[in-house]
Amino acid sequence: MIDPVTVEILRNKVAGLTDEMHYHFYRSGYSTIIRESRDFSCVVLDAEGRLITAPPMFFHGTVYRHFCARVLATHGDTLAPGDVFVSNHPYDAGLPHVSDMGFVAPVFSGKRLIGFSGSIAHKADVGGTMPGSTSANATEIFHEGLLLPPVRIRAAGKPCPDIERLILANSRQPELVAGDIGAQVAATCMGVARMEELAERFGADTVCEAFAAILKGAADELATAIAELPEGSASAEGFMDTDGVELERMIRMAVIVTVKNGRVLFDFSNSDAQAKGPINLRPSMVEACCFYSLIGCLGPDIHFNDGCRDVVDFKYAPDTITNATAPAPVSSYQMANLKLVDVILEALSHFRPERAVANAGSSGALLINWGKGGRPGQSNLQYEILGSAYGGGFGHDGASCTATHLSNLHVTPIEILESEYPVRVTSFELVPDSGGAGEFRGGLAFRRAYELLADGTVIRRYDRAKCPPQGVDGGKAGRASRFVIKVGTPDERVTPASGRFEMKAGDRLYLESAGGGGYGDPAKRAQERIARDIAEGYVTADAAKRDYGK
Amino acid sequence: MAETGKSARFRLGVDVGGTHTDLVLLDSATGETRVEKVSSTPGNPSEGVLEGVRRFLAKGVAPEDISFFAHGTTITTNALLEMRGARVGLMITQGYNAVQETQNQARDGNPFDYFYDRPTPIAPQSRTREIPERTDYAGNVLVPLDEDAVREGAKALDAAGVDAVAVCYMFSYMNPAHEARTRAIINEVAPRLHVSLSSDVLPRIREWPRLSTTLVNAYLAPVLTRYIRDLSQGLDGLGVKTPQRFLMQSNGGVMPFAAAVTGEKTVHTLLSGPAAGAQAAAWVARASAGAGLVTLDMGGTSADIAFIEDGVPLEVTEGAVARRQVDVPALDMTTISAGGGSIARVAPGGFLTVGPESAGAQPGPACYGRGGEQPTVTDADIACGYLNPDYFLGGAQKLDVAAAERALDTQIAKPLGLSVREAATGIRRIVDERMADEVRVFAAKRGLEPRAFTLLPFGGAGAVHAAAVAEELGIARILVPPRPGAFSALGLLCSDVVHDYIRSELSPLSRLAPEHAEELFTELESRARADLASEGLADADARLEREMDLRYAGQGYELRVSLEGIGAMNAAALAAARARFDEHHARIHGHAAAEKPVEVVSYRVRARVAVPKYKARELPAHSGAAPAPKGKRQVWFDATRATEVPVFERDAIRRGGKVTGPAIVEQMDATTIIPADWDGEVDAFGNLILTYRGPAR
Repeated sequence: MIDPVTVEILRNKVAGLTDEMHYHFYRSGYSTIIRESRDFSCVVLDAEGRLITAPPMFFHGTVYRHFCARVLATHGDTLAPGDVFVSNHPYDAGLPHVSDMGFVAPVFSGKRLIGFSGSIAHKADVGGTMPGSTSANATEIFHEGLLLPPVRIRAAGKPCPDIERLILANSRQPELVAGDIGAQVAATCMGVARMEELAERFGADTVCEAFAAILKGAADELATAIAELPEGSASAEGFMDTDGVELERMIRMAVIVTVKNGRVLFDFSNSDAQAKGPINLRPSMVEACCFYSLIGCLGPDIHFNDGCRDVVDFKYAPDTITNATAPAPVSSYQMANLKLVDVILEALSHFRPERAVANAGSSGALLINWGKGGRPGQSNLQYEILGSAYGGGFGHDGASCTATHLSNLHVTPIEILESEYPVRVTSFELVPDSGGAGEFRGGLAFRRAYELLADGTVIRRYDRAKCPPQGVDGGKAGRASRFVIKVGTPDERVTPASGRFEMKAGDRLYLESAGGGGYGDPAKRAQERIARDIAEGYVTADAAKRDYGK
Repeated sequence: MAETGKSARFRLGVDVGGTHTDLVLLDSATGETRVEKVSSTPGNPSEGVLEGVRRFLAKGVAPEDISFFAHGTTITTNALLEMRGARVGLMITQGYNAVQETQNQARDGNPFDYFYDRPTPIAPQSRTREIPERTDYAGNVLVPLDEDAVREGAKALDAAGVDAVAVCYMFSYMNPAHEARTRAIINEVAPRLHVSLSSDVLPRIREWPRLSTTLVNAYLAPVLTRYIRDLSQGLDGLGVKTPQRFLMQSNGGVMPFAAAVTGEKTVHTLLSGPAAGAQAAAWVARASAGAGLVTLDMGGTSADIAFIEDGVPLEVTEGAVARRQVDVPALDMTTISAGGGSIARVAPGGFLTVGPESAGAQPGPACYGRGGEQPTVTDADIACGYLNPDYFLGGAQKLDVAAAERALDTQIAKPLGLSVREAATGIRRIVDERMADEVRVFAAKRGLEPRAFTLLPFGGAGAVHAAAVAEELGIARILVPPRPGAFSALGLLCSDVVHDYIRSELSPLSRLAPEHAEELFTELESRARADLASEGLADADARLEREMDLRYAGQGYELRVSLEGIGAMNAAALAAARARFDEHHARIHGHAAAEKPVEVVSYRVRARVAVPKYKARELPAHSGAAPAPKGKRQVWFDATRATEVPVFERDAIRRGGKVTGPAIVEQMDATTIIPADWDGEVDAFGNLILTYRGPAR
């Protein structure tokens, strides 16, 4: 039997080596989306493709199991040292969307398969109808780009240039993609080499036993936390504004959580039928939302790895938004993920009221294509990811003006934007009263206003305009999001949460993210919290009277 | 040279740590050093400092013979950690109050914790005044400063009882006029208030990091000013009248007290403490030419790791201290929760973990006998026989072996079905491997290969664990300095006066007029000269080094590129800068893109004034005869068997003296473990050099 000291040493080593893989990849990754957003993950898996430690980009963590299972099913008999497999297939391999390209490589000690090294990273373009391969109104996965089932891109250490040619021929940005593929293969192979070194030093048996102990430890840790929950079932539902195609129809997501015999079942059978537009989810993403929510609810320090699957079950109905069938499009999965997390957390709160939390405000994007109107020597594509606010929770006001849940990207500084693009950010302000009222208030949204100094095409992608973040346990909803164009003219108007607009120099617009939902009856809010909110300008005196009766 | 005093016999370095205040007194006539160690006095740290100085005076040092005083302090760090800074008001451009709420939008800390809170604001919205004014990216005024609003704001903040005001307007780094005028108005309306301007503290692009750094400066300036005034008076009172008084900064250089009391550079002192140790290591690296060093400063709660390459510590220009973003130059270090006080526990899932919690000094490890019941790394060290329970701090503190073993047994061994020795050796292995893993990843991220480096352990526990860490990393050479426990204080006697100046102005390098760049550098240089003059440092001695922050167009961060040797700005100089950037980028990030356009983001000037350095005294030649051990003890290098190991007194090993492992070398402030497969030898300067002679790895 393996001793706990060796398990802990190997556990730290796996964490250190994935950190090193991340940096190695980051260091050699070429395209800006990887460099700036770090939209990638690197991992170590056991011989069955089970994840050993969670990557910082958490929602990739549940994908590898599906990807590896498919590699083993299709190529298991012919796996050889030096093989590297590639796939971007949401249906065949569970990847989030076609822009995310995954690589896994088997690791051998002698002839024995001891595990896999893997990585997933966003690619600038893999074809499809829209540049960037994420079309907000795609209706089939075939509109979203080239599909690669798991195939070898290196065989027994030798590159397979035909596959790479095929990929690059389908990309609008072949140079960037080629650079990124090179970096990703290198990082994956570095993981293989490091795992081989561990096997050499500690012995293959010890490494495999340590992996088993690390998986079992995580399962035990999660099981211990689940054992504290009361048995029973609870359900919740929530809505997205639209799927991007059928603009008038709201999309319903629903879950029933059942705790029984020390296990948790997430049942999504009652979710809407799969959508025409690209907000569908594959089970790999739904699982990420479930584990993220479960760990957040039970104790944020719990370690995730695929051992956690031993105590959690999932149930889906076919052809639903949470278990889409090909060829349903999936490229806007992140917006759906962020809604699903709200829904799952609401259901979980019935089992652990002290971790109850209201809906968060999700995450949106603003893109301005300046065409030929950009500043000389600068890029003409302005792209910002804008956060929102957390909901209030048991004993806790929601955080304001922040990235939420599975999203954690930086805001682009105003001074950088104005220095690089023909734009002026005329204000960036808190929106008073935007946090849902409650005993514990939702976080506040921000308003960001722009003046265009040249003509440009503005693309806004967001949610929460029709369906604002809901409160829980008597808390009120947060303020809905807004996108307002032609500000200060007779044509001023509020648009739907997502849209594309041709704008002229001198046009003004502003966006407001959604505020977090409130928790609990506003009448119970402590007087000193209300006084502080008013003093800080978070709540106006009028709203305090209206919402809190003070 | 900065030193001007007539009698220049003694130079004093004082490093205040969490537990102890270390003092090193250098006799520049003989090169001899003397060390004092006193308890730190966290309530008012200057008391401990002065107590230490008094001890030297009591031993016959004449106060007027102390011609130089350099100080490393955690006063600002602790004030920030414990939120004991000033009451701060803020003035910002009207319409931008979400900048301070949003910060950089990303969350720090555990990503699963949806009950996330940002750190308590240094200046809440209720003490924030929005001032009508606006400058554009080119420095043109779009909205003139509303002076009445400033006046009214200053009065209101004064009435609200603030001690300090931070001022941060949009694009003030391009045109500081509005901030400068704001300061003048505040000085007029409320002269008692300290004012920190973002265009002084960090005239750098990106509104949130500039605002955050300015807020931290305003928050801590009154704290540091008060402390330095108290300390100065205390020194005067003891008759130590030298005007040569310096304070260590995060960038590894010192600043004169005259600069510290203005409050303008306070934020540069946040990492004063750890910087001193790295400076001492850099000095050692320069003295033993060619050696790259990796330092391992292992104390009570954590281990600090830094790399010294070509005699210079690596630097960073962005960082967070106590969750506050502070973007001024600092030595590049990593800290992990691996110290003597790190607690071992059986975590959920049955894992044996060490740290991050620390038993600190109170109650301390179980073996301190102060009520600590959690086993720590020090308890494991004592149960393995690594530490001598009767010779801790030279015998000043007795360690309770039975208490250590009891804690290990009940908390670790029994729950996991291990023996006490297995638990103790296991904890040691886990902590040693974690430090090695941290060094390996830190090195990989900077494109370094640790095997090529010498390990330099210091702090109380560094040399206890160094050999195991080195073996794990494939490092074959360890340098244990003569006084590992007072090494940081020595660093204070090895540092130049350094001031850093920065000014952002984003433009494509291809469109930059060289004469404009020259003008920007010249402005920074005049500022540097003016500061040095006001500090009484003759500008004739100053060395001014130019640097540019460059990036490929579209990147979100930039690299600092030295322009040393490039000379005045002209087309050829800009081309040379670009070539250096490509080279630097390739080294740090693995590739360069010579065809891509490059942007200049910021201009930097570093002013350096040489300070006389400590010179190590060469020990008299000696026969190198094998030293005699002072005793023996049982050591468990592994859990299965004890080895009887000779124990040597450090001072008894003379120059050239050799010790063959396994052996233990003890001294008042540290213990060095020399395992089998290692040899020790004392070099000409009293360093104990350990060399690996085991099988190749």
